[in-house]
Amino acid sequence: MKKRLAVLAVILLIVGTLFAAGTKDAKADGAPITLEWWTWDPIMMEQNQQIIAAFERDNPGVKINNTIVGTTDYWTKIRIQANQNKLPDVFTMSSGYVEEWAKEGLLYNLDSFVKSDDTFDLFYKSIFDTNKEISNSDSYYAIPFALVTTVLYYNKDAFDAAGLAYPNDSWTWDEFRSAAKKLTIDKNGDGKIDQWGYWFYGRYAHIEPWIFANGGYLIDRSTMRFSPDKNAMAAMKMLTDLVLVDKSAPAPKDMSAFQQQDVFPQGVAAMWVDGSWFVDTFRKNVGDDIRWGITRVPSGPNGSNTLTYGWPDSYALAPNTKHPEMAWKFARYVAGEGIGLDTYMAGKIPSAKKLATDPLFSDPNQQPGKDMDLLIEQAAGPMTTSYSMGWSEWRGYGGSEALGLNGTIDAIVNSLMSFDEAFKKSTDSINAVLKRYYK
Amino acid sequence: MRQSSLRWHSKVTPWVFILPTVIGLFVFKLLPIVSALYLSFTEWSLLGSPHFIKLDNYRELLASDVFLRIVRNTVQFSLVYVIGSMAIGLALAVLINVKIRGIAFFRAAIYLPVVTSAVAVGIVWNWMLGPTYGVINIFIEAIGLTPPYWLADMKLALNTVAVVQVWKMSGYYMIIFLAGLQNINRDVLDSARVDGANAMQSFFRITVPMLKSTIFFILTITIIDSFKNFELIFAMTKGGPQNASNTLVYDVYLNAFVYYRVGYASAIAYVLFVIVGLMTIFNFYIRRHTVESLD
Repeated sequence: MKKRLAVLAVILLIVGTLFAAGTKDAKADGAPITLEWWTWDPIMMEQNQQIIAAFERDNPGVKINNTIVGTTDYWTKIRIQANQNKLPDVFTMSSGYVEEWAKEGLLYNLDSFVKSDDTFDLFYKSIFDTNKEISNSDSYYAIPFALVTTVLYYNKDAFDAAGLAYPNDSWTWDEFRSAAKKLTIDKNGDGKIDQWGYWFYGRYAHIEPWIFANGGYLIDRSTMRFSPDKNAMAAMKMLTDLVLVDKSAPAPKDMSAFQQQDVFPQGVAAMWVDGSWFVDTFRKNVGDDIRWGITRVPSGPNGSNTLTYGWPDSYALAPNTKHPEMAWKFARYVAGEGIGLDTYMAGKIPSAKKLATDPLFSDPNQQPGKDMDLLIEQAAGPMTTSYSMGWSEWRGYGGSEALGLNGTIDAIVNSLMSFDEAFKKSTDSINAVLKRYYK
Repeated sequence: MRQSSLRWHSKVTPWVFILPTVIGLFVFKLLPIVSALYLSFTEWSLLGSPHFIKLDNYRELLASDVFLRIVRNTVQFSLVYVIGSMAIGLALAVLINVKIRGIAFFRAAIYLPVVTSAVAVGIVWNWMLGPTYGVINIFIEAIGLTPPYWLADMKLALNTVAVVQVWKMSGYYMIIFLAGLQNINRDVLDSARVDGANAMQSFFRITVPMLKSTIFFILTITIIDSFKNFELIFAMTKGGPQNASNTLVYDVYLNAFVYYRVGYASAIAYVLFVIVGLMTIFNFYIRRHTVESLD
């Protein structure tokens, strides 16, 4: 009997050991788990170290190595890592590349995690779903840590001086155009405009919000070809008419000495549409020199501004990570579960509900005060983007900002080409790019 | 016996000394050159493995109107840069080849843009050329003329960037010209003056012929430098408007590091390689048949 019990005990011990060894991330041999974490923002070095210290304290035996590559080289270096099958366990992922990377099998499929744990209780599902839409698949491949949206910034001082009511969510395009004209002022009578009603150029964050607020699209998702519908064309025509007909917005060639993000805060334009992250820039660089607010981009005649143009900033897991559970745990932690609002750039909307609902998010002591609630509303509502594979090339972004669709719209408002001629020409070249990716 | 061991030593020692350079040359120069040639026949986004597509990249290049325009832009930029840099570099060198009090200050001031960051230069020139508050346009308006859009006009953008590049780099060529000028024996110039030659005659009949070696050296390096125009284009125009200031080097950057079309970028780089190679051969040919006969 004793012998049988001893044999049983040995069997149980062996089975137990094997079971423990078979569980992922378990430290059967007591060896510590080391996770590599790559990010691109050097400003976050100190905060990252604080996050790591807190996570390591809560998870003894786990070590996190943070590598900050810097925005310029990040994508080249991490592509090489991917090529060498040496992706870090957790790394920052851009919405612009989610689809391409997911198709190449370079992102860990997170479905098994998010569908079985409390992720959607802690994070906004709508932001996860935007990531899923961007990936052009039915799976979740990235965990968003923040959402950025596009909003209409307006200069309250300029509106007050012109005796105009501030813009609001129910503004129409006609009301917007009328206000833009009234806000275009030659203050010193020298024949040159000192304050424009509005400022934009061909940049994605300046154009797409108007297209989506008019129910339009640039890419026909069924064919994956550039085929702007009539609502999209109407939005772009309305914008270009601000420069060419209304004369209430400057041509980009007249603003070439400015950094594009300086035109509005320097008071050269009274209204501007761009990413919500500029809230942080204005708070730091402008302070209270001007009073400003944010609201939704006005709805077009055929659409609604409740559909927000926004996109998440995310983390992804390496498909071959040796510690998927721990990598997922850390990704959730750093995406919001374990960090504070102070680690976020103001205007980026945390995907973690506890951070987004923190009263300090809409800090009444800092501009734009309660207007910040708009960002939370946008995060909870429907959202869309224009991302696709080859987006940087066909849209004209970063180093190619003067080319692609960006360059096309600039050519129209700089009077280099007519509206029809420009779109006839660019449609072929944009579709040549898309054909390479979607054959 | 002793001589034999020394012979062995004398054969191996030079190799040991040049080995680091040879390894560096192979690893950092020749290997990438050969790799880029192979990559130019592939499609590769850095993700996964390169996919061999034979001559498709070259076919796409030659069928592209944009690419042909970029080649023309590159040649135009080179012409403006080479002629501008050599003329201004030589003029500056002649101006400062004098022994007067404080000349070192002027030499340093003219050289300063050479060591200034190209991005900083681009941003400052963007301000100066700005249509609204730019100092250059304010000056043009003050004399009653209508200033152009220097960087937004499709006919002007490329030349504007090339002129800024000339402004930035002329000081460098000035220093080389100055070294050449100071090698000219003063007695020859003095003799010419005694014989009644005026300043122009001395310059074109004595100075320029005696500078021919320097001139051809600078011609070679300005041609090569004229293709290194990425930074200013990035800072000032980003290749716009409508590819008007896009050049081969900038297009390599766009395709390799913005679009991640590494194979296509390598094909563009090889077209550039061939153009630079042909120009260098032509340069050597000219040098052999003119300068060396004069030497």
